[in-house]
Amino acid sequence: MASPAALDTTIAVVTPENIAFDYQLAGPFRRLPAYLIDLGVRWGVIVLVIICLALAGLLASFSGFSSFVLATGFILYFLISWFYGTVLETYFNGRTIGKWACGIRVIDTDGRPISGKRALLRNLLRIADMLPLVGLSSFVTDAAPIFVPTGMIGLLAMILTRRMQRLGDLAAGTMVIVDERGWRLPVAKVDDPRVPALASFFPGDYRVSRSMAKALAIYAERRHYLTPARRREIARHLAIPLIDRFEFRADIDPDLLMYSLYYRVYLSDSSDEIADLGPLAGFSPLRRDQNKPQGLLGNIPNPISPTVKRPSFNPQLTQEAGVHAPDTTLLGKSIPLPQPAASQRSPDTKQELPRPEEQP
Amino acid sequence: MNVAKLLEKRRVQWSELERLCDSMEVRGRTDKSGFKHHRGAEGIARFSTLYRAACADLALADTYQLPPGTVTYLHRLVARAHNQLYRAGKFEPQSWATIIFETAPQQIFSDPCVRVATLVFFGLFSLAMYLGRNDSIIPGFADRMVGTEQLSQLEQAYETPLAASLDHYVSMSGFYIMHNTGIGLRCFAYGILLIPCLFSLAYNALALGTMFGYMARPDAVGGDNFFEFVTAHGPFELTAIALAAAAGLRIGLGLFYTAGLARIDSIRMNAMKAVPVMAASALLFTLAAFTEGFISPSPLPYVIKAVWSVFSSGLISFYFVVLGFPREANELASQLPAGDQPDAA
Repeated sequence: MASPAALDTTIAVVTPENIAFDYQLAGPFRRLPAYLIDLGVRWGVIVLVIICLALAGLLASFSGFSSFVLATGFILYFLISWFYGTVLETYFNGRTIGKWACGIRVIDTDGRPISGKRALLRNLLRIADMLPLVGLSSFVTDAAPIFVPTGMIGLLAMILTRRMQRLGDLAAGTMVIVDERGWRLPVAKVDDPRVPALASFFPGDYRVSRSMAKALAIYAERRHYLTPARRREIARHLAIPLIDRFEFRADIDPDLLMYSLYYRVYLSDSSDEIADLGPLAGFSPLRRDQNKPQGLLGNIPNPISPTVKRPSFNPQLTQEAGVHAPDTTLLGKSIPLPQPAASQRSPDTKQELPRPEEQP
Repeated sequence: MNVAKLLEKRRVQWSELERLCDSMEVRGRTDKSGFKHHRGAEGIARFSTLYRAACADLALADTYQLPPGTVTYLHRLVARAHNQLYRAGKFEPQSWATIIFETAPQQIFSDPCVRVATLVFFGLFSLAMYLGRNDSIIPGFADRMVGTEQLSQLEQAYETPLAASLDHYVSMSGFYIMHNTGIGLRCFAYGILLIPCLFSLAYNALALGTMFGYMARPDAVGGDNFFEFVTAHGPFELTAIALAAAAGLRIGLGLFYTAGLARIDSIRMNAMKAVPVMAASALLFTLAAFTEGFISPSPLPYVIKAVWSVFSSGLISFYFVVLGFPREANELASQLPAGDQPDAA
């Protein structure tokens, strides 16, 4: 039996530059509103044309051209109702007005833009996708003989095909993709001075594996959405082997350790000078240094361990430390720490996200 | 080099590319991005350079171990720029003549679907005409097929001799273009599902045939006027319906006659083949509409209408047979060494 494939709404496209990039496919729930908008626009245009022609007909009735006006009306109605989508998709780079409003676009299955012939085919075949027609008379006894398209065939075809194509798309070799707008480059910034400090304690020859690098990046992007306790819970799985390997103190904050490793992998540079550590200078998180005097901070407890209480201790540091000051913990240690002043907001309730930098 | 510095360096170019995309999306050109060096050809060159650079960044993203968020960003940036660089191909009206006068007739000549659709249409048409003419074979056939009311309306419409004014001609030809080409296009679209297309074709054949047969009865009112009316545009219109259905059947046939391709690819290939046939059909519908609008209802003598009918039939035959004769096969055969010649026709 074939192994079941995961449901996936992205499709990889290989460009002429030999680059594969992903497109997100548009499903029925994005395409239906686009179709309805198009339907509205089409009828709006037709009504507008009829009004204009009626006015022109009034003027023309004196000179005997009213039949030309009528013929123009018939032909325009025919052209608009059958070729609206074809013309717009061809000249508007794969979008109709409805598609533009819903942020979707038609492209070739190869990722190339749609050609006029393909646009023609997929728009002509829409009427087959709209089958079966249901007569209103089957619901209301004395209704006018109006037949409403249900679109079940197109929906079925979309459900059953890998690229969510309706019959017209299948015949024309096209697909509808989401044309994303409003995205920005995410850049994480580290404001906590303890992070570079801790990062300098990883051995210089330590290289993270590819999957570890990916995990770190994802963790750093998402940690702002988690509560401190939750962060530690998640980070612990990766942090404990690291603590054992590099012989850090056992009471080190796993979240801080992961964040430091992230800093080390993505943000620091070996040629960088060690940042000014301020009051943290001389502090060592290593297990063998646990009992040595700790420089400036020697008389105060460990700043990297999760703690419960946070009295105001060193206002100078807090201004630099910003939001990433140590968090409260459940580990039961109640030790004073270098902390933000009471006037600053608590990092536990409101974590500031690293903002994408403003575009130049 | 660390990732942050790399990103910082590349971001300048990425955001420039984004700006170019912004201005391309609105106007289709690079002029409005706000930089002086983005005007005209220089801007396009700059755009493609930046696009290729972004492509290279995306290709190397794995090697650089870029964070997943950045990779997603790059995917979107490249996709967006790709959509602007490779824009939708416009229609090429100069190629339409080739499609109509070369591709379409050859396709029609060699396509068995055309033969099937023509046989179905004209076979049922003749049968219905025969049954409609002789009420004794199946009593009440015409009434049940078309409806008694419609038949009496038909008789009323042709009671008086044909003599319409110019006003009538113009507006009616517009109406016929809309109505009849619409029927043809619908028949074509239903082709991908086969059954609705065949049903539509057969229904039109039976209804038209019955009307023709009914009006051909010696006791029918206005029978002469009716035949005078339909003579001129009959050849164009009946052929056009059959052709539209044939083009539709060609797509539907791809569903099961795949010639070794995957089913979906087969549908796609057949649909591409069907487009020229459909274009020829639409052209015939338009010609029929103008004939039906201007010549058919006019008080011209019957001879002229008959001559036009013969002429149009000849034109269609010329189109199908002379233009459609497999010329490429002959040309190909002359280039091939002897013995390798493919079968003619």
